[in-house]
Amino acid sequence: MATRKKVLLKVIILGESGVGKTSLMNQYVNRKFSNQYKATIGADFLTKEVQVDDRIVTMQIWDTAGQERFQSLGVAFYRGADCCVLVFDVTAPNTFKSLDSWRDEFLVQAAPQDPENFPFVVLGNKVDLEPRAISTKRAQQWCQSKNNIPYFETSAKEALNVEQAFQSIARNALSQQNHTVDLYSELPEPISLTKTAPRNNGDSCAC
Amino acid sequence: MSGNSNYPLKYQLLLRNVKNTVENLLISQLANVWFVYGGLSRLHNAVEKVFKHGCKVNNSDGCPDFWTFVQGLDWLQPHNAKSSSLLDCELKQNSPQYLKNNKASIWLYNNLENHSLSQKLAWLLSDKTHLHSCYYEDAFLCQEKYAEAILLCLRAVEHNQPSLISEIKPCLFFSSENVQNFHKAHRRCSSFPDNHLHNIYKTATRSKTYDSLNAPERKTFHSDVSKVTKKNNFINGKLKPWSSMPDLISSTRPKQFCKASQSKTTPSTPIITRSRSFQINTDKIIFTKDTVEEKNKEKNDNVMPQMKHVIFDNINIIEYTQSKNTTIKKSKKIDNSKLYCSVSPTRSSSDYSFLTALAGEKDYKRAPKKSFIEEDGKVLPPATGYFPRPVKGQTLASFLTSSQFVRANAELDRENAHFSISEAMIAVMEQIKCKQDLKLVDEQGDESDEEIMSLKQRIRLRRRQKLQETQKKMVIGTPLSNATTTTEASTSAYSTSPDYCHSDCISSDEVEDLEIDESSNLIDSKGLSVSMASLFSESDLLKKPRGAPDGASDVLSAEGVALSLISRFSEKQLPRASDLEWLVSEEDAPQALLPLPKSWPVDTEEVPPTPLRGNKDWAPPRPQIIFTPQPPPMHFLCCICCDRRKKLMVKQNYRCAGCGTRVLPQYASKFRFCHYLGRYFCTLCHTNQVALIPGRIIQKWDFSRYPVSNFSYRLLEQMYADPLLPVFDLNKNIENISKNLKKCRTYRLALYYVKDFIKTCRFAEKIQEYIERENPYIYMDPDVYSLQDLVNIRSGDLNKKLESLVDICCKHIYECQLCKARGFICEVCLHDQVIFPWQIKKVTRCKKCGSCYHISCWKPEKETCLKCARLEKRKNLKVENDVTTSDVQ
Repeated sequence: MATRKKVLLKVIILGESGVGKTSLMNQYVNRKFSNQYKATIGADFLTKEVQVDDRIVTMQIWDTAGQERFQSLGVAFYRGADCCVLVFDVTAPNTFKSLDSWRDEFLVQAAPQDPENFPFVVLGNKVDLEPRAISTKRAQQWCQSKNNIPYFETSAKEALNVEQAFQSIARNALSQQNHTVDLYSELPEPISLTKTAPRNNGDSCAC
Repeated sequence: MSGNSNYPLKYQLLLRNVKNTVENLLISQLANVWFVYGGLSRLHNAVEKVFKHGCKVNNSDGCPDFWTFVQGLDWLQPHNAKSSSLLDCELKQNSPQYLKNNKASIWLYNNLENHSLSQKLAWLLSDKTHLHSCYYEDAFLCQEKYAEAILLCLRAVEHNQPSLISEIKPCLFFSSENVQNFHKAHRRCSSFPDNHLHNIYKTATRSKTYDSLNAPERKTFHSDVSKVTKKNNFINGKLKPWSSMPDLISSTRPKQFCKASQSKTTPSTPIITRSRSFQINTDKIIFTKDTVEEKNKEKNDNVMPQMKHVIFDNINIIEYTQSKNTTIKKSKKIDNSKLYCSVSPTRSSSDYSFLTALAGEKDYKRAPKKSFIEEDGKVLPPATGYFPRPVKGQTLASFLTSSQFVRANAELDRENAHFSISEAMIAVMEQIKCKQDLKLVDEQGDESDEEIMSLKQRIRLRRRQKLQETQKKMVIGTPLSNATTTTEASTSAYSTSPDYCHSDCISSDEVEDLEIDESSNLIDSKGLSVSMASLFSESDLLKKPRGAPDGASDVLSAEGVALSLISRFSEKQLPRASDLEWLVSEEDAPQALLPLPKSWPVDTEEVPPTPLRGNKDWAPPRPQIIFTPQPPPMHFLCCICCDRRKKLMVKQNYRCAGCGTRVLPQYASKFRFCHYLGRYFCTLCHTNQVALIPGRIIQKWDFSRYPVSNFSYRLLEQMYADPLLPVFDLNKNIENISKNLKKCRTYRLALYYVKDFIKTCRFAEKIQEYIERENPYIYMDPDVYSLQDLVNIRSGDLNKKLESLVDICCKHIYECQLCKARGFICEVCLHDQVIFPWQIKKVTRCKKCGSCYHISCWKPEKETCLKCARLEKRKNLKVENDVTTSDVQ
């Protein structure tokens, strides 16, 4: 039954600015890596078809801005996420410490039905770099304390563990989706937001 | 006076033309007389007439051609070895288009410009046989006294010394009846009672008009097109007016036209301005019209509407325009169109639309040429020394001629540019010197033989000596055969030899230092009159682009001197403008921060007035942005207003706020009120141009135009499109006054939010273009408005435009997956509906973190923002963590 249905998995990547969110996504979707840093504005997404077990699913990966400066843009896209990926830089302790707040923020804004069991995945990126500031053990401890979040150590530059991590993400997302009501199964209108298009409201426009 | 008794009137006229022009040039007290707009061409015209008078040789067109006379320099000039090439050389220099085909004219022009004419004329006159071979007995130049007088005039200009003119005997240019009317007067005639002038003019015109229009002009009638143009200009010059007349043409197109008309008007204006002269010579003028019309018929139509708007209701003007017959008007029109075409070829034909502007209403729709705001968005602070920075890789010459200098800077800034530019020049010279020295070292390094080296050294020394010797010779040789020279040795400010660039500059500096204010006493009422008005007007002066190498008037500007200096070097030798190492860079000594002295040493002696910087009584107007309306205009019928006028005039020390000219209290009523600056101006500085007053719009939504000074007019024009007015801050009540403005505000605010979505959306490239077409401040800074915006808001144009833009953007955002995903979710109700900050009717926004809530869900005044609370909590936690971790360490 499941194989017949096309599934869209919405994955949100969060984390401090400069930890490699965009790079991870690019490495996974396009198999490309650039050393140049370009801050993401607001949010953007890429899609990729993945096979999870015997099902073909479409992953819609939302890359977000780590910087807080784009205040005029909101995060409505958190809504209806199937999995949230928290990324930190293993060489930068602050990025690890902020994982808590990113998780909190996500849970507030996305308002999932079952926050306790919402699938998160933690990625410790930039393992190709020295010196390490956050040990594997420390990261794993944190993940365990947060309801056993899966933890992967990746390098977007070396394409290390990226594929595996996203496989796991897809699997987790799929499991989440199996639990929830299938709201977003139709591809042309993948986002739930369409249901309540603001255009319907007479006073939607400022004028 | 030798020669013919039939001619004295003619002589007088010619001399007076020259003399008046010279006086007007010098009265402006500019360091460089050619800064007086149109001064050079006026003087050129006047002197040319002198040269042409009684000339034996005619050219192919039948016009007198004094080229043969000029060629006498070939053997008369002391440096005769060079001279033949020099004559040709001079011809190649820049000269106005209309002279192109006349060698002698060009020669005259260039020599005038170079301040070398008096010396050359002296040489030419020194040889009587040559003189008589070229001129008839009764020619002007053959009259020794008049020739002397002309030389004096020329020298006065060259040395910028008005006192020289006083050496000319009045009997040379005044017939006895006029001498009686000779008055010493205020140096600006603006406050001079009209009647008095009337009398003088009546007598003057009666006796002289016939002559004045006859001999010299007859020659310019026929022949080629350029000649016709010239004739038109002449007529234009006659109509060109008297100071109190609002500059008609410039009120519709202030910048372009003035340049043209001013530069070509003839110096004979003062005498012939009266309509009387036209009546006498009607047949003549009709003739002109015919010739011109044939050639310019199609152009006539374009320009027709303009004339209708020309007349302002001002007593003076009506008086002078009444009797103009249509013929004259037509020729003037043609003239305008012609000049207009030739002067600004870049303007497209559509620009003619401004001609349809109503009387007194300026067409603001065309983009203003200069903005009040810098490219980087900074408002030019009025009092800081502004100096442009070179772009990387820009050549020195292009930097100096760049439009940055063209900006009508405040006078003071322009003066300060001298410092900056001389510094730049020093840096250039040092760099070139350094380069050459390095080269020299290289060369010397190659030469192992000592003998050769010492020989080379000697050659070099010898060469330098020679150069110095010739230099000395030149300087000494200049005052040769000047029968009328004053005690002061003529240092020949501009020798023709290109070798003397440096010495030129030095001598010109000396000229600059001369205090020429005494000149005011020398000027009689006549000289001050009409020619003055067209020669010298502050706005015209400032309209002239500085540093542009087209005209002669900027030879002595800082940029001009610098350009002439660097022209001695090839482009290759010169360093790039951006590579210059400034001796004192802006970083080292930010000019804005230099402290101003708190007190001045008090001079017991009378401080000489310096018009540029002002004096104790008066300071030049500075560009200010004034948001408040000035107290209502003074009506001359109202006694209270008279009182107020008096008070203000006292406050101004009875000086014109624009030029510092004093006026006698009994003539103070002639001064005009500037509704922008709230000061009184003389009729030269205030030509009754009308403009929108920002303060009146902001406070009263009053879009009527009020008379302003030329200075304010220019300023207001400059700032017309600049976003300088935080309207809502200035008048909290204005929303209630104008519904359109209120609406516009919501659109601007919407655009402000919308642009973040559109500009970052990869699916909205087309709409991005729409937005980028707008001026950035429209969507970046929603609370400031330009005058132009306010005008467009009033007419509703801006609202229409912005409404459609907001509509397009909103439509995209509501349909775009990406944009919608970047919307907000109300954290309070957690409803699935995506909300956006610009939906101000149902959405409210936290000013601190930017999160959006439904208005019904969150009250910004009462409740704290949920996100802000979280952020605060996290911040505290982080601080605690940091403390504990540092404690552990």
